[in-house]
Order: sequence, then structure tokens, then C-alpha cells
Amino acid sequence: MNTATPEFAVAADDAWIQSSCSLCYGSCSILAHRVDGVVVKIEGNPDSVVGKGKLCGKGVAGIMTHYDPNRLTKPLRRTNPKKGLGEDPGWKEISWDEALGEIADVLRKVRQDDPRKLVVQRTTTVTAGRTPFQTFAAAFGTPNFSVSGGGQHCGNGAHLISGIMHASWSVVPDFAYCNYAIYFGASKGHAAGHASCSNMGLAADARARGMKMVVVDPMANFAGAKATEWVPLRVGTDAALALSMAHVIVNELDMVDGPYLQARTNCPYLIGPDKRYVRDPESKKPLVWDTVANAARPFSEVAAADMALEGEFFANGFQCEPAFAKLKAHLLKFTPEWAESISTVPAKNIRRLAKEFATEARIGSTIMVDGVTLPYRPVAAVAFRGNQGHMNSTYNFFAVDLLNQLVGAADVVGSCMGFNPASKGFPETGRPHYVPTPDADGLMVTGMWMGYHYPYPPSEPRLPKNLGLQDLFVMGMTSPFLNSIDQEELWQTFEVPYRPEVLMNFGSNLMMAIGNSEVVAKSLERYKFIFSFDLFLTETSQFADIVLPDASYLQSTDSRSNFPFIFSLPGGMGEWCWPIRQEVVPLDGEQRRFAEVLLELADRVGMRADLNAAYNASMNLQAPYRLEGDHAYTYPEICDLELKGNFGPQRGLEWFKEHGLIKWKKQPEEVYWRPFVDVRVPVYWEFMVSMWEKINAICEPRGVNIPQEYYDPLPDFLPCRSHQCQKPGFDFYAFYYRDTIHTNSFTMENPWLDEAAELDPFSYYVAIHAEVGKKKGLRDGQSVWVESESGRKVKGRIRLTQAVHPEGLGIAACAGHWGKGMPVAKGKGVFFNELLELDFAHVSPNNLNLDLCVKVRVTPVEA
Amino acid sequence: MRYGMVIDLKRCIGCYGCQLSCKAENGTPPGVFFARVLKQEEGTYPTVNMLFLPVLCNHCEDPACVDACPTGASFIWEDGIVDIDPDKCVGCRSCMMACPYGNRYINDKPQHYYAQGQTAFERLRTGRHQTEVVMKCNFCRDRVKAGEDPACVANCPTSARIFGDLEDSSSIVSRLIKERAGFTLHPEMATRPCVYYLPT
Amino acid sequence: MSDSRAKYQQMLIDLRSDLRPQRDWGEGRGVLLVVGHFFVGVAAGGWLMSLIFASHNGLLLSYLLAALGGVVHLGFLGHPGRYWRMMRRVKTSWVSRGFAGITLFLVGGFLYLVPLLAPTGLWRIDSVPAMLGYGMAAVGMVVMIGYMGFVYTASRAIPFWNSPLHPALYVGYALRGGVAALLVTRALEGNLDQVNQLLALWIGVTVAVTLFFLLEIYGAQTSGNAAARRSVHELLAGRVSAYFYGGILLLGIALPAFLVWNGMTGPLSLGAMALLGVASAAGDFFMKYSTIRAGVHLPLLTRVGAR
Repeated sequence: MNTATPEFAVAADDAWIQSSCSLCYGSCSILAHRVDGVVVKIEGNPDSVVGKGKLCGKGVAGIMTHYDPNRLTKPLRRTNPKKGLGEDPGWKEISWDEALGEIADVLRKVRQDDPRKLVVQRTTTVTAGRTPFQTFAAAFGTPNFSVSGGGQHCGNGAHLISGIMHASWSVVPDFAYCNYAIYFGASKGHAAGHASCSNMGLAADARARGMKMVVVDPMANFAGAKATEWVPLRVGTDAALALSMAHVIVNELDMVDGPYLQARTNCPYLIGPDKRYVRDPESKKPLVWDTVANAARPFSEVAAADMALEGEFFANGFQCEPAFAKLKAHLLKFTPEWAESISTVPAKNIRRLAKEFATEARIGSTIMVDGVTLPYRPVAAVAFRGNQGHMNSTYNFFAVDLLNQLVGAADVVGSCMGFNPASKGFPETGRPHYVPTPDADGLMVTGMWMGYHYPYPPSEPRLPKNLGLQDLFVMGMTSPFLNSIDQEELWQTFEVPYRPEVLMNFGSNLMMAIGNSEVVAKSLERYKFIFSFDLFLTETSQFADIVLPDASYLQSTDSRSNFPFIFSLPGGMGEWCWPIRQEVVPLDGEQRRFAEVLLELADRVGMRADLNAAYNASMNLQAPYRLEGDHAYTYPEICDLELKGNFGPQRGLEWFKEHGLIKWKKQPEEVYWRPFVDVRVPVYWEFMVSMWEKINAICEPRGVNIPQEYYDPLPDFLPCRSHQCQKPGFDFYAFYYRDTIHTNSFTMENPWLDEAAELDPFSYYVAIHAEVGKKKGLRDGQSVWVESESGRKVKGRIRLTQAVHPEGLGIAACAGHWGKGMPVAKGKGVFFNELLELDFAHVSPNNLNLDLCVKVRVTPVEA
Repeated sequence: MRYGMVIDLKRCIGCYGCQLSCKAENGTPPGVFFARVLKQEEGTYPTVNMLFLPVLCNHCEDPACVDACPTGASFIWEDGIVDIDPDKCVGCRSCMMACPYGNRYINDKPQHYYAQGQTAFERLRTGRHQTEVVMKCNFCRDRVKAGEDPACVANCPTSARIFGDLEDSSSIVSRLIKERAGFTLHPEMATRPCVYYLPT
Repeated sequence: MSDSRAKYQQMLIDLRSDLRPQRDWGEGRGVLLVVGHFFVGVAAGGWLMSLIFASHNGLLLSYLLAALGGVVHLGFLGHPGRYWRMMRRVKTSWVSRGFAGITLFLVGGFLYLVPLLAPTGLWRIDSVPAMLGYGMAAVGMVVMIGYMGFVYTASRAIPFWNSPLHPALYVGYALRGGVAALLVTRALEGNLDQVNQLLALWIGVTVAVTLFFLLEIYGAQTSGNAAARRSVHELLAGRVSAYFYGGILLLGIALPAFLVWNGMTGPLSLGAMALLGVASAAGDFFMKYSTIRAGVHLPLLTRVGAR
């Protein structure tokens, strides 16, 4: 049955239950069919906007993950005190009471000593884990929070800049209206992730309608496979290409959206010789040049149309020019010929793409949507993981978004959009209500966010007290220093006054997800105590002291299966939708739900009051739906309060269990909010100047070099380590990419998905260019070693293909398990991350993203 | 009334949703794929695309498998769906040799995916199928009779699969085939498939 | 269980390739199908030769081989208990026709053979049942000789088999098997009557069969069909080449040809005659085995449609 039964079935023997998937963080809505206590089918929920009644292969296959006999059913305790790669933990089954008793003892001591010694780590896959774990960490008093590889590899660039420029977690073309989309290292609508199944439908409709999809990617898989034009490029050179296109648009074609730049960006702000804003002496507001008054005046007092974008002026005793003029001059050096030499994309193609993009942007045009006249810019340049997974993470992503900004294609009809940056809330209650607001400099501050500190304005750098050093490197969100080889050295250098002692891990498999296993193993070995919530024993569980058997998504209830709305709700017109997750089948053995375990732990540790207060803050609970004092709420009760607080007293958890979700129509002013909110985005990142000074002031005296070129207000092409490798024989740039059939290192254990991957031409292979491979005497299917310059190596089988750049070497997903706890996954695919170095030298000194491309050589495995 | 399917290759993104929702709906054992997704690259660098080709039983109008079957286990319903009556099948596999598309499978594989044995799901759903007989897609006939689309069609996130009556010229499948020059696989095999593909 | 696990692993490997070998007939339990085909083919040809050369023992041997072949066929089936259903589709199915033919032959042959070999039985050789039996067996024999090739021709999944030459080839092999059966029978009887005619017949049928086989390989190689070409490759240089060279050429043609030449230029011992028959029949078996196992599925992904 494909439609939800209106009456919530009371009989346990045949029911369709509305819930949410959890095979990836997309959390599409599902209908789970339970017959005689067994889940026999999982389908999409056509009633929900999240997924729109469809599921990708992973979602449908969830049954086999749930029924995996290798799932843990009892808490386990390690008996072998030694931890290390290859050490057998000597697991012994214990009771929950013992387990939580011991954990609570440890936590209590740590909390008394220094709560920051607790590191909380969670997987990105279970979106609903975010609030409980983050809240627990906040209540406990530790800022040391991480999201493992999922965050480390794709978050610091993509989410940071999507937040700064589009007030959302990520960006996507406005599929319903976009005519020309350029994807840089992204597969929106063609693989998994944010609003995945909904986006799939939207993207297919767009392409069927005639939207041109240009995909810039070293490999033509997923989005590249369906591209109108695939633009292969040398790995990690996105910034070169994008900046060159920007140069063509600004300096060769002169096709920019002047009025947009004047009104909605900091392009008119006057920049002095010190690269900073020239500010009004009294109000401290940035000055612009008023072309009518012929004087420099604070931006808030000048009509946008009167602001100069070019010219040299004198203000406050300084020679200055508008930021746009600086940008224009800065772009001059990024000629298409130069970009061709860096990226291998032919210069004439670069010019053509820039012209196509700028022309189709239809600068100045408007369109009516639902009776509202709105700016119409039907082009979008989007980027995601692949683009920003490099040393130059920030500029790679920023340079792509610059293209949107130049033509005004930002959060208007047909353009590059954030996912739902503004919401008026449910009509009856006006909640959750959020909208971006301007800071004192007129720059946009996002209305809704998912991390601790907002992407903009960045916090003040200080001598770090966080283990990840994100309070020093304030553009970074997820930090590699929790696991890097040089973490101790860095902590000493920066006088971090404590060391991590306890790790609480929710489901993440850092041994595979972050970087090479040797270094990550060392970082785990230094913990005094590790406890882990897991579905199965992973390579990381092997380092734990206690492993707790987690419930699956089919056994859990959560009011926040999707974080609303910047994360998994599709952008564009349509409806707002808040679905929940609810149990379909009971727990097995002694499995328990993580959110409930956290509450019990809080009680045992004696921090319930703090936890309640933290929940009030993180869920933004208002009276009368706030948690009071130290009352021991159950998790369903907390969920109930959140739902009632947002949707009214009659719509608590029971209402949601019956209805599955709530929906209401989006208004054009919410979706295309940009014209209605007076905020500007930084095209010129002036804040980088003082940020570098402050960071450098702390780093330089301690002998840590922070290259200033990473903190220039304007984006640049900065090579990765791999681009600088001169070692003979190392002639491939190895990279990895997300596979539609897999999520992180999780789904290879699902035998249906593994089976599909076994039959896929690329999933478990090392893809190299067919001609290049043949010249090296390599055969399709041949077993090879892929080795990095520092000698790390992985084994894999070759797939010769036309669909990859001649210098590229593409490995899918996060595969190559070696542990015994996931026997289906064992030995499948290639463990790319083993090639990654994990140290300061391989991290963006700006946003802490790990450099994810590696120069490698390929040698056949001797028989 | 002749049921048929249209698969829009322009829309298909190779997410394996059809292959897996079919597996979930039918509880097929390992190695049996009533629906599969084939992938093949086209073109030479740098003008390369990947073709994603979902395949399934074509429910041919003139099915070679029905002709080949000695017991009448393979038969064709009045609505055009080609089906197998497992109680009549002797497991001779002649139909598997007759079908030019290789869309039939003998159920002699392991009956469970995990080494430890059948999951609760497999006991219920895989256990429904007789072993040592041939099995294949039947357009989810039970769902269709109940007014729903086959599982693969209902689930497709890009709406690349459409189901309907090929004998009704106003049905969406008929119109799409006409408007977008739908084609079948291996028409030279003369089985007259009822699964049409729309070009990319 | 590990056997089916191995089958599953092999299937995954096969499904990954463009040109998937056919394994259902000819591998694992599928060998029984080849064996069954072989026995039935020899039986039918043997019955014909035994009628022509008036060999009662030949008829008996053929009958027993047919019965054995039938049982072995049943052993191949997933549900042998349902065998009687295989009579149902003679209108369209060559397998059904073959089953009907074998059944006719076994019933008719019994009716005919009983009075022939045991004249003091329940009914006489010139009675209605015996005459009916003779007729039924004849019809059955014709069907048995002919149907197998058509089963393969009707196999559109396997381009290599999908050739009009296949029936001719199988008829030829049935006749060759019949000659071999008769040679073995005569050898066991110690009977050298008409040996030269038998040898000449062997040569003639072998030449015809070789010609058909070469034509078929040539046709497959030049068909433009990748699966057919792959099958030829498997036969001549691939998975089953050992059976081709060792079984078909050496055992089935070279050795018997040598013995025939000996027999034509000098006396042929009984042992040599028996060896001739057995080797020739073995060659026939390997021919069926090889061509079945060389079968490769028509690939689904050729350059698909318009873009």
C-alpha cells in the first residue's frame, strides 16, 4: 500500500506507520509496513514533503540493516586493557546497570575535575542524534564536540560558506525555475544527502524541462553522468576555474548585477589601504561613496542606487575604493589561459561557460510567483563536498558562490538558494520563526544554525581552550586536531590546559571516516575511557571500554528526525513539513534508545537540572512548554513539549504519532526572502584581515606559521599539497566521492546494498582513465596498490574508464572494512582515507578542512 | 488491456531505488533481481555520459518463455502480465534459455543474505517463494489489482518509471511512447516487449 | 549451503560482465541435463540404426538408454514429481514435445520389445499392441532425434544456439550416436556383420556433422553478435576448449577415425569396434557438453536506442 492509513492502526498485525528513514542524514519520510510484528516493507510517505513518497535504494533497504544478526543486543565491556589496531578487546557481556554505573562514575569524576576532558563525537547519519548529544555536551560543560568524518570532510567549507552567504546549511539550485546550473564537485539531486529524494524528483523535473546542468568534476558519475556538459578538471582546482569565470564575467563581459551588488552585498563598502573597511568615526559603520552627495557616508544612510561600485576616493584621510573595485582588479590575473594551465579546462570553454552563465542569468529581470513579483535569475553555481575538500577549502567554495553573487543569483527565483533560510513558522503558532538579520555592519547573520558558533560573525580568536582549536581558528567547525598526529604538540604549543580523557561516541566510525587508521588509532589509544553507542561492532568500537547496543531508527521515536528546516527540507516553493520518527517495532535483546540513555546518564551523573536547561536552550522551548528544574522527563515527554511548543497544545507527540507530520504552505516571501530582508552578504571578506592578525598574534610567537594568503578578503587559487608533489612516478591525484548506494562506512554491511554495489561498475573499484591505464599496462579488474607520497597504501581493483580526468584516480565511498563486527562489509571496496595524512600541514589554516586529495602512484599487486 | 511500463532514461539517476524496492516487495533471495540497474559509460573523454538502464521482465506480447515452458507454468494473464505458477513449474529452466533478456531466475540460491541464517523479514517474505522453480517479475500484480503501481514505479524518486495500459492510446504510457519515440530492447528478438524506454 | 553460496558468488561475478556465460544447463546439477540429452540422442539414433540393421540387442540397448536418459532428465529437474505436467504444452514447447516423444517411445518401445525379445509373452509380435507400439516408438524416435536441436534454436537468450543449424547438428549427432551404439552392440555380440557398411555410415555422418559444426561456428563468428563470438572463443580458446580439443576432436573424431581407417584397411577387432563406438559416443557427449557450456547470454546493454 502506498498511501498512509488514516486511522492509526491499533491492531499490531498489519499497520503502516509514518516515520523517518535513517540510512543517511537526509531522513526522508517513510511508511513502514509491519505485519505480525515484522517490518516487511519500507516505502516513501507520499504525504510528506521530505522525500515526496519516494526513497532511494538505501532507504528501501533499511529492513536489512534493522534485522542484521550482527547487531549488538547487549552492553559489552572490554577485558583486554590494551587498545590498538589488531588488539582483541576481549568483550564480555554486562548489564546496563553495570555499564551505566561505570560510565556515570567516570563522567562524574571528569565533570568535577574538568568537564572539557569529555569529547563527544557523533555520526552525521542519524540527524536526530544532534540535539540530544549536543545538548548533553552543553549541559556537561564541554565544548569538545565533533561529527567525525562526515563533518570533517565536507562541513568546514560547504556549510560554513553556505551559512555566511545563504544563511543555510547548504545550497541548491532553485530547481523549479533554474535554467542553467553549474555543479562544482556536487551531485545535488543525483545522490544522497540533504533533501535527497525530494531533490531527485526536483532535479529530474528540471532536466526534463530543459535545465542545462554543467558538472565540473574530475569524474562523470552521478550528476556528472547525467550532465548536459561534463567539465573534467584537475583535482582540487575548482577555485582556478571559478575565479577565471568570474574574471570573464566582470572584466571581459562586464555583465554584473550592479543594483544587486549595491543593495545586497558589501561591494560598495569602501576599503582602505589596510584592506579593511573605512569606517565612520562616530558610528563606526562602514562608509560607502555616495555618488549623489559626492561624499563618503555610512552605508545605512545612502540609497543603494547611489552607492559607487568603482572609482578611487578619499575618505577619512585614506585613499580607498569600493570593495567591488578591489575585486575587479583582483580578478584580472585569473585569465582563462592561466586557469587552463592550472585546471586543464580549455580557455575557450571557460569563456563560453562564463558567457552562458552570465547571459542566462537575465540580470535585471523579474518573474511573478504566486502573485508576488520577484527578481528572476535562473542560474545557479553550486558546490559541495568534492569542491571544498582541499587545503584551499574556503576559497574553492567561495569562488563558486562568487559567480552567483556577481549576477545576483542568490536566493531569488531560479537561482542558487540556501535550504529554507527564512520561515514565518506554523500559521497558528508562528513557530519556528527565524529569518536572517543584519549585524552592525549590515552583513547577514543566519536566522537558524546547527553548530555552536554561527558562521558569521566569526568569534574572536583566542588562545584556544578547545581541544579542536576552533576557538583559535574561528572559521573551523569540525576539527582534525581531535585525532591528528601532532595534536599533543599543538596542545602544548597553544598551552591548552587539559587533555581529553573520555570519549563518548555515537555511532561514528572514526577509524575509517577521518584519515589514516594508524594516526586515528593513536588518538583513540590516548583516551582513558571510551564508550560507544553502536549498532554493530565497528573498527572504532574496538577501542572502546564499553559498547552500548543502540536501537535502530525503526525502534526509535524522535520529534526531530529532520532538523528543521535548513537541513533536510527541500528548498523552493511548496510546503513546510515537520515529520517525526516513531517506533515501528520493539527493541531486541537489551538494545536501548540513545536519547533515553543520555537522560539516565544525566540522572546518574547528577546533572539533570543542567540538562533540562540545556534542552530548553537547544530546542528553544518557551513557557509553558519548558523543562522545569531537575524533573526527570522521559525523552517522549521532551519530544511532546517541543512539538506542543511549536505547533500548539493539541499537537503533541500523540498527535504526531497519529498524523506523522504537519504541513503548511510556503509563501513566496519565505522562499525568496532576499528581496524582503535588508541584509548584505560579504563578497569581500573584510573580517578575514583582523581575523588573521589576531590568529597570527597568537600563533607566530609560538612558531606556528599561518600563511596570510589563506586570509585574504578575496578568494584565490592556492594549491594543495598534491599539486606541489614532484616525486617521479606519482602521477595520479587520488580523490574519493560519495556513492549513491552507500552512506559513509555504514551501509556496506547491508547485504542488499552491498549486493548492488558489487554489481556497480564503480562502487568498489579504483577508477582511472582508460588510455592512461592502458599505457601503464594495467587491465580492467587488475589488483593494484595505490600509494601516497608518504608511503601509505591501499589495495584495490582497477576500473578503466573514460569517465575520469586523465590525472584523476577516483575511489567511491568510505569502504574497505577490516573489522569482524560487520562481516558483510568486510573486505568490500577500497579504504581511501588510509591515504590521508592527519596533521597541521594537511589542514586548511583557514577553516580546518582536511586536504582530501593525494598524489599517488599505482603499481600492480604481484600475484 | 495490456499493462506496460515506460522507463525514462533521461530521468533515471541510477539510485537503485527500483532494484531495492523490488527486492523488498518481493523478498527475493540473494542473486535474484526482478529489477536491476545496469550502468555503462558512453562516449570518449571528455564527452562522456553514463547510461543508467533499469531492466526487468518485459512482459512481452509474444513471450518466448511462455512458448518454451513445457508445463504451462509460465503463462500470460488477460491483462498482459506474464507470470509463473510455481506449483506447475518443474524447474527445467527452458524459459530462462528462451528469454532473450535473461530476466528469469532459478530459485536455487541461498535463501538468506546473512551467514547466520534468515532474518525475520526473510522468513516471512523470502520464505513465500518455492525453491527449485523459476521466478520473475510479475509487475507486482497483487498491487496492481489493488489499484496501486508496481513497487518499482511507486518508489522511483525521479518518476522515471510509469505504468499503464498500452492498449489505451490516451494513457500516459501510450502518449509518452509516441511523443518521445519510446523504444524496446532487442526488438529483433521479435517477442514484442511491453517495457519501453524513452531516450536520454 | 556453501554450494549455493558459491553459486551466488559466481552469479555476482557473471552479472558484472557484459557477456554472461550460461550456467544453468551444463553446470552443477545441469550436467544431468547434458547427460540426459546425450543418452536420449544415442537411444533414438540407436533405435533407428538397430531397425535398419535388424539388431534386437541394439533395440534393447537403445531402449534402456532412453529409459536411463529419461530418469537422468528427471534428476535435473527442480521438481521431478511434477514431471507429468510436461506433457501439457506440446503446441508451443519443444521441451514438451520432447517429453511427449520420449514417453511415446518408452511406452511404444515396451509394447514392441516385449514380444520381440520374449516371444512367448502376453501378446504377439504381430498383435495390435505390438504394431501400435512399433508405430509409437517410431514416432517417438523421430521426435527424440529432432526435438533437442529445436530446443536450442528456440533459446533466444543464447545467440550461439539460436541458429537454424542446431537441429541439423543434433539430428546428425543422434545418427552418429546410433551408429556408435550399434558398433558397441555388435562388438559385445561378437558380430562383425556389415561392419564396413557401419564404418562407411560412420564416416558419412561424421563428415556431415563436422560440416554442420564448422558452418555453425563460422556463422556465430561472423554474425556480428558479441555473445555468439564469445561462445566461439570459449569453445576454441576459453573455458571449454579442453573439452573441445580433447573430447570432441581427439576422442570423438581422431581416435575413431584412426580405428575406422584401420578397420577399412584391415580386420577390425571387436575391442577396436567397441572402442570406436565408445570414443565416438564420448565425443558426442563432449560436443553437447561444450556447446551447452559455451553458451553466452545475449547482452542487454548494446548501444541502446537513440539519444
